[in-house]
Amino acid sequence: MSLTLSHIPAEQALIDALDGATGWRAQLRETTRKDGLPTRRHELWKWSDLRRAANDVTGVGALTVSGLDALAQLADGDRIELAVRASAGASAGDAELVVPGGTSVTLVERLHGEAGALGNWHLNVRIEAGGRLDRIVVADHHESAVFIGSAEITLDEGATLNQTLIDSGAKLSRNETHIAHPGQGASVELGGAYILAAGRHADTTTVVHHTGPGGITTQLVKGAVASGGQGVFQGKFIVDRAAQQTDARMTHRALMLGEKAEIDAKPELEIYADDVQCAHGNALGTLDETALFYMRQRGLPEAKARALLIESYLAEPLDMVRDEALRDELKVWLRTRLGALT
Amino acid sequence: MLKIQDLRCKVETQDGEEKPILKGLSLDVPAGEVHAIMGPNGSGKSTLSYVLTGRDGYEVTGGSMEFAGEDLAALAPEERAALGLYLSFQYPVEIPGVPTITFLKEALNAQRATRGEEEVSAPQFMKLIREKAKQLNVSMDMLKRPVNVGFSGGEKKRMEILQALVLEPKFLILDETDSGLDIDALKIVSDGVNALRAPDRGMLVITHYQRLLDHITPDVVHVMADGRIVKSGGPELARELEAEGYDKYLGEAA
Ligand SMILES: Nc1ncnc2c1ncn2[C@@H]1O[C@H](COP(=O)(O)OP(=O)(O)OP(=O)(O)O)[C@@H](O)[C@H]1O
Ligand SMILES: [Mg+2]
Repeated sequence: MSLTLSHIPAEQALIDALDGATGWRAQLRETTRKDGLPTRRHELWKWSDLRRAANDVTGVGALTVSGLDALAQLADGDRIELAVRASAGASAGDAELVVPGGTSVTLVERLHGEAGALGNWHLNVRIEAGGRLDRIVVADHHESAVFIGSAEITLDEGATLNQTLIDSGAKLSRNETHIAHPGQGASVELGGAYILAAGRHADTTTVVHHTGPGGITTQLVKGAVASGGQGVFQGKFIVDRAAQQTDARMTHRALMLGEKAEIDAKPELEIYADDVQCAHGNALGTLDETALFYMRQRGLPEAKARALLIESYLAEPLDMVRDEALRDELKVWLRTRLGALT
Repeated sequence: MLKIQDLRCKVETQDGEEKPILKGLSLDVPAGEVHAIMGPNGSGKSTLSYVLTGRDGYEVTGGSMEFAGEDLAALAPEERAALGLYLSFQYPVEIPGVPTITFLKEALNAQRATRGEEEVSAPQFMKLIREKAKQLNVSMDMLKRPVNVGFSGGEKKRMEILQALVLEPKFLILDETDSGLDIDALKIVSDGVNALRAPDRGMLVITHYQRLLDHITPDVVHVMADGRIVKSGGPELARELEAEGYDKYLGEAA
């Protein structure tokens, strides 16, 4: 005899949507069947109550991904574009990517949850020895969408991951990245920027697990949140006993643009090795009023001055994007979001 | 051009107390004239510059200030700027991430838009800024750097005057623009300021030193003490102050 959990319509819809699924999607179905959608009572979801956010979702939706064909045959220098779209209702999809040893690949994922969507997207990545992945995720959702993106990324020796994630939020938007970092010449750079208008939420959750010696990890996530918006940052570095001489630095900084902006941050270091260089920094602030006055004295309207200051603040993580055209594109995206904010 | 009558202002200190700083200041700078203000530390000179340009936290509690026929108190800082009021800051502010060129172009075009004038195109602007940079001996490399970030004290002051040359304001307030400048830079900056002297332009030059006034000869010198103008005179007043100090005026202010 087992107690069956009574599912809310969104949970039932997700289970129905995943009927007959295999692999990661089957796991998601079984977890949902057994535990339901996570709520704030789960430590890892305390600032992103998924069950509550999905309250209005009833039917089954569709998750469509274009560009998947390109994943099968990768060559050095390739740039792959995936457009992931979740329609209204519950849906889930996943994909796998192997970056062959010695090759360098750029992956751009454009995530879009439509109005009333509960979208789940998962990517499983392996970067083989000496390979490099530049991963860009643009989360650009409808304000009433709920979307969970997650990635499981495993690096081999000497592999490089450079990830940049930008998010303008949704009713609930969460991007999870779990990284297995072997050290031994492998290196990880994680950049992120979120910009949230009133009523929008964005959650950046990352776990980097260092298992071997000499790994390098740098993380810089910056955000700007208007009154009524909620930004969440959960960053965790785990350094195993075997991962001596790990050099891992995590920085999260965010601007509160109004009194009712909410920013929840939990930077964590879990270190079992004794000879490491690890640090985390977390700073919340407001716009520099002195700078604002200086700019207005020169004739810039207040809204424009604010936008320029926020833009330059958030641009820093985007400067880590290697491809110049892509970097410019992300900055334009940011500017457009800013325009909508002020 | 700039008419200040019995101006009073207070600031709120960090512990929430209200502190009166300007205590009935009157001053009249007609178009075409350069007036200097000298006065001891803390007498309220920078405060005056902030009240005139509309900085938050500087509350006008009495009197009036009028510029080009407009009541300044009713205008936002950017509106005052578009009217032609320019402040060269005593402590220029760093703006990380915003290149000086971008900043200046945005500022110029914002002012022009407010005045209903046409935008300056990118090539026109580059031509303009090259010419002015040359005049002030500022390299184009420096202009690509973020506003004031990592500039030396003297470089910042030079940059303030460069911005004025580009924006061509109707009225300049120079708050200790000479401090931090070496002898050659003082000459270059003064030449820049003198180039802006014009029959339809006024200036208020705040300084502690005669040496600036050797280059920029003022029409009138005012002595400020404890939030008021306590004495006005010709250029010789500055030399007298340099020789004798403020002692004899401090009593009058009390
Ligand atoms: N925000 C503030 N809070 C508290 N006191 C202030 C504030 N702003 C100005 N003051 C005080 O007002 C007085 C006048 O300051 P101000 O900067 O105007 O002087 P100043 O004449 O420019 O001096 P200096 O020659 O040193 O530049 C000083 O005593 C200063 O401490
Ligand atoms: Mg001063």
